[in-house]
Amino acid sequence: MRRQIILAGLKARPVRTAVSVLAVAIEVTLILVISGLASGMVGESARRIAGIGADIMLQPPHASVLLSFNSSVMPQKLGDKLLEIEGIKAVAPVLVQINGQGGLEQVWGLDPASFDTVSGGFHYQQGAAFSSPDEIVVDDWYASAKKVKIGDRVEILNEKLRIAGIIDHGKGARIVMGLRAAQERTGSIDKASIFFIKLNNPSDYPAVAARLKEVLPEYTVINLPEYESLMTPDHLPGLSEFLQVVSFIAVSIGVLVIFLSMYTSITERTREIGVLRSLGSSKGVIVGLILEESVALCAIGAVAGLGLSYLVGRGIIMAFPTLSVNFTPGWITTALVLAILSGVIGSLYPSYKAARQDPIEALAYE
Amino acid sequence: MSALLETTDLRKTYKVGTVEVEALRGVTLEVEAGEFAAIMGPSGSGKSTLMHLLGAMTRPTSGRVAIEGKDIAGMNDSQRTEVRRKRIGFVFQRFNLLPALTAQANIDVARWLYGGAPNAESQALFDEVLRLLEIGNKLNRRPFELSGGEQQRVAIARAVVNRPAILLADEPTGALDTKNSEIVLRMFQELNRKFGQTILLVTHNPELASYTGRLIEMRDGTVIHDDGAPSRRKARETISLSTGANS
Repeated sequence: MRRQIILAGLKARPVRTAVSVLAVAIEVTLILVISGLASGMVGESARRIAGIGADIMLQPPHASVLLSFNSSVMPQKLGDKLLEIEGIKAVAPVLVQINGQGGLEQVWGLDPASFDTVSGGFHYQQGAAFSSPDEIVVDDWYASAKKVKIGDRVEILNEKLRIAGIIDHGKGARIVMGLRAAQERTGSIDKASIFFIKLNNPSDYPAVAARLKEVLPEYTVINLPEYESLMTPDHLPGLSEFLQVVSFIAVSIGVLVIFLSMYTSITERTREIGVLRSLGSSKGVIVGLILEESVALCAIGAVAGLGLSYLVGRGIIMAFPTLSVNFTPGWITTALVLAILSGVIGSLYPSYKAARQDPIEALAYE
Repeated sequence: MSALLETTDLRKTYKVGTVEVEALRGVTLEVEAGEFAAIMGPSGSGKSTLMHLLGAMTRPTSGRVAIEGKDIAGMNDSQRTEVRRKRIGFVFQRFNLLPALTAQANIDVARWLYGGAPNAESQALFDEVLRLLEIGNKLNRRPFELSGGEQQRVAIARAVVNRPAILLADEPTGALDTKNSEIVLRMFQELNRKFGQTILLVTHNPELASYTGRLIEMRDGTVIHDDGAPSRRKARETISLSTGANS
């Protein structure tokens, strides 16, 4: 009977129901898409780093593992010292810069010879490596997203640079140029942001890491096989707080919409509440019916939100192929729980108000 | 015979702004089980206030109101809710069916609130009530698909389905045409005759009172005429007969 009353209530006011469901769906979508983008971008970036095939990533003191937010550099000649450490086979310096034109893309300046030693080299789908300072190499996703081909010029770091080659995605940055050219363009002569290190034997990592820590105590030594697991929004300072703020805003919107919807609804149904009270319905039953109706609205909205998030995610990827959206089970659960919670919080006062109504006054309500 | 419903010096005062309005000024009456009585009076006479007090919808300012010997005047909200659920049935002028539910669901709401799974006896009563009220073929319709008379018959079924001790009907024909009013009143008579349902009908229409077995007239918050409960009437008749015989 309870379910019948709730469903009848939802069906009787289709516009109110649709608007409430849509609001909750948008709440869920906002949480899922933002967290999905964060998780997708960070995860995808981590996969590309891991895809290099190095064993260790060395960063200067106080550098962020989120390379896009990293402006710290270290001397390039440090690479020679690293090669002297026992167990290290090859070292590749990389200067990371951010290209603000047409999005926020990492541009890596690297030395092809040393990078090939560490990574095994790029696989070129078209063209070849850059041979002059005004040439770059891009990966196939970038070329597809920006609709560019070999010979085209694209604006990178405020200059029109020529695309010399298109490589497979999944290894480092999507835009790559010569190390020297990158250093000159950014005024970081003889500097590097990262050293990728290849070991003679990957199982020697603990010993080599200890040696590195001894020589460079302030530097960050990261075991690259573990890097991907570190690169989640929860591990990145600032990002998890940002996601919490987004979730709070989304929940606040959900709570306000549900509050307004249920408040209007109980005002419209004052007489019906009076009828239920005259039939002997307790205050608890009235509160329960309103809370359950609200939770039902939110549950429908949450499921609709999952579908909407999927569609928005697909749309984002279609519009911006270099972006990545990853809906994690943790965030899906969080979004669903928050949606239901916003229903409960939003309907607390309306249900309390409904239960407190005097049956005689409620029955006389016009 | 003990009274099913009993009030003693029942008073109710409302505060409208700073003015106190005395809606009931000491009403004392008894209603016995199985009675079909009409409480009649003009607008403002206090009949609706009396019905709200008898129906445990509100508390009196002073006095006693008892159902089956239990004083409900001092009960708290949750106890009065329990009384309404278990012992009272209401029929209103404007039917007050839940618009989103079918006729069947409107009746089921009362059964659901009453609690407990319907047994063979309660199901038999339900079927009998549907037959009597002639709404068995309207159960899947929603209120807006029913005529006023049909809606009121559904409301009556909802009110009696749990076999309340007393059925309170507040101007039940006020929103009906003459033909439907007559049908509804005859159904009240049938419910009273067949099931022994105690019914208190509140009205301002003297014609409606003629369908009942007892008239209680009110004016300005007091009872100005009461035919009296059947057992007292009988006692009076016996006394007057014996007095007549002696003289």
